Amino acid sequence: MYHNHHPEGENMIKSKKLLAIAALAALGLAACGSDSSSSSSTDAPDTTEAAGTTDATATGDCAVGVVYDITGRGDRSFNDAAGAGLDKAAAELGVTASESTPTGDGDRAERVQGLVDEGNGMVLGVGFLFGDAITEAAANNPDTTFAIVDSVVDAPNVASLVFAEEQGSFLVGAAAALKSTTGTIGFIGGVENDLIKKFEAGYTAGAKQINPDIEVLVNYISQPPDFSGFSDPARGKEIAASQYEAGADVIYSAAGGSGLGAFEAAADAGAPGDVWAIGVDSDQYNLVSPELQPYILTSMLKKVDVATFNTIKTFCEGGDASGVQVFDLSVDGVGYSTTGGFVDDIAAQLDDLKAQIVAGDIVVPTAP
Amino acid sequence: MTATIDAAPIETADRPSFLHSARFRMLAIVVIGIGVMSAARLIADNPDITSSGTFGAGLRTAAPIALAGLAGLVAERSGTVNIGIEGMMVMGTIFAGWWGWEFGPWMALVGGIVGGMLAALLMSLATTTFGVNHIVAGVAINLIAPGIARFMASELFVGVQGGSVTSSPGNSGSIGAFTVPFLSGGDLFGWQSPDILGKLEDTGWFMIADISGLAKGLTTAVTWDVVLTIALFFGISYLLWHMRLGLRLRFAGERPSAADSLGVSVHKMRWIGMAISGGLAGMGGAVLVLFSNRYLENQVSGRGFLGLATMIFGNWMPAGTAIGAGLFGFAQGITLRTGPGDLVRTLLLAAAIALILLVVWMLVQRNYAPAGTVTVFAVVALWSYFAAQSPNNQLVFVTPYVVTLIAVSIGAQRLRPPAEEGIPWFKGMQ
Repeated sequence: MYHNHHPEGENMIKSKKLLAIAALAALGLAACGSDSSSSSSTDAPDTTEAAGTTDATATGDCAVGVVYDITGRGDRSFNDAAGAGLDKAAAELGVTASESTPTGDGDRAERVQGLVDEGNGMVLGVGFLFGDAITEAAANNPDTTFAIVDSVVDAPNVASLVFAEEQGSFLVGAAAALKSTTGTIGFIGGVENDLIKKFEAGYTAGAKQINPDIEVLVNYISQPPDFSGFSDPARGKEIAASQYEAGADVIYSAAGGSGLGAFEAAADAGAPGDVWAIGVDSDQYNLVSPELQPYILTSMLKKVDVATFNTIKTFCEGGDASGVQVFDLSVDGVGYSTTGGFVDDIAAQLDDLKAQIVAGDIVVPTAP
Repeated sequence: MTATIDAAPIETADRPSFLHSARFRMLAIVVIGIGVMSAARLIADNPDITSSGTFGAGLRTAAPIALAGLAGLVAERSGTVNIGIEGMMVMGTIFAGWWGWEFGPWMALVGGIVGGMLAALLMSLATTTFGVNHIVAGVAINLIAPGIARFMASELFVGVQGGSVTSSPGNSGSIGAFTVPFLSGGDLFGWQSPDILGKLEDTGWFMIADISGLAKGLTTAVTWDVVLTIALFFGISYLLWHMRLGLRLRFAGERPSAADSLGVSVHKMRWIGMAISGGLAGMGGAVLVLFSNRYLENQVSGRGFLGLATMIFGNWMPAGTAIGAGLFGFAQGITLRTGPGDLVRTLLLAAAIALILLVVWMLVQRNYAPAGTVTVFAVVALWSYFAAQSPNNQLVFVTPYVVTLIAVSIGAQRLRPPAEEGIPWFKGMQ
């Protein structure tokens, strides 16, 4: 198509192309490098020595590897909670800890296997997206113990750490109904899968327990396999705005980072005390800016740190850590936060409901 | 069409017939479209389908996608296929999150533009100066940008109250919003003016309420960055078609060798085009950051690619790109309202009514064969409306993409991209 009349020019173009490819390759490597360096295995800090363990190599029975979800440590939520459990295990039990963070969906299995190959006796995947990777690794490495958070993997050497999210959601649903003056409350789910539907089911049941006529507006942000609903605050804010517009005065977001958008919508919708937002997983009152704090009624707590630490402890003490382990209200695996003091006036009612759930008098549904 | 051309010189030499002009056809389509939506609203008894809230959600959803589309348009008009818009938006979000937190919302906008521009200049170095394949370079940008964003976030936000490796601490202050007085009840020097459109919308009258809803949605609580987005569409149109620089930019995309022979520096034009493109894409990222008041990892989530789709739908023209983005924004906007399932059903009914009208028109024109095909579609749409009492949520969420797909496949019949976009050009090439 294009005739070049200048051979020298062509050579120059070629050399420029080579240079460009080299430059791009270098940049690409740099980008990968920065990710993998932050996620490469690191032994736990001095705490290991402090606890009296001198075995620095990850070969002992009590060497534990944790693979975080893509966001990794520093998300101030799920992954940080798992990391806190691991740190506690390193400090109190002298566990040799290794950590890894995937850079995309493609390398989960490799990272799990990588921690196995380093000699870790237990490898824990944080998040239900590790389901396939852990299933595969458990079959290939029968002598290693695995653990997965938020999902059930049916294999003899896998501990499935699941939470009774519906029980915690029941309590915040009851809190929403007790605080609502309009008789309409909202629920925003990040992704419409069975896990998030548990939150919805518990929330709705808890609200109806207080006020059988309450209207619960339900929206989901995305559908599996599209998980963008957990990281799209713009859509979260838009949905929350339309729910407030439709009369809701309390909105519970089980939507990861998208929930931060829903909190913003609360501030646009009304004055503190008139409209509320409920957080999820960790105490989100502590995560938001001071202007938004008066809107955070409570948060449904999912104590991943407790689950992580307990599982590592069982494993390191030679116990059988495998099987499905449910962390529910009876072991304080789930709960609600009280920071800000906005639920102090209804705490007695909530604790009464909690006692009824623990006693089995109230059975919270797991599907809406 | 042919009738217009034949008739024009004879009958209406000094007074062109408005009834046969493209403008009239556009107007007719818009009026019929509103009528169809209004009828669907009344039959399905779902006022939210054309409410000001829904149109407002559509506008806010459309704005970042529209900016991505405009970014693609400027790049491609000047000869570079910019598949790296997604990455440039990511760079825009991280810079906007950073500057918005440090210096306030307006600097978030500037930061977004700067971040996008930096990524665009890197890509321009590869494509324009080194002649790297444009697709390869764009994909590289899309891969590098999230890595850079993660690195910057870990350096800037970790350890700050409210910040983390995936999130900025939040902007210091809001950019502010604007509501038009009298039309939508905006404040006028502290005095609350009457909300005329709101009152008309509440009447529920055929067509009047729908037009009022549309107008009120587009004039209520519009943030200044969205106002700027709309202004930029006019600005970029003016630049490309009414200014010398714009002519040269398009020249570099249509006939670079001819441009070169006339003394236009093709490389300079393509660098400028990419700089503008990156700035617009980065601003799209900043609009996202301003709306949710913070940077959050992965918040762009494919909007750059959607922008490219609206650009193709819009035939590389600003007006078309804006319509494409508006269409997608509306379709996604309804999925963000309460009761999205019922809204999608109402949309199906509107589609059925439109198709039935099309069949009637075709029968009048005696186009029997295509009328048969369209009848099948009309029946399917009508059946879906009655069958899906509470539609599957998967169906609801796929709606914006199906609407875009249908619109692009209808629109793609008469597309004309810039002639020599995507082809590396060097001095001496013909």
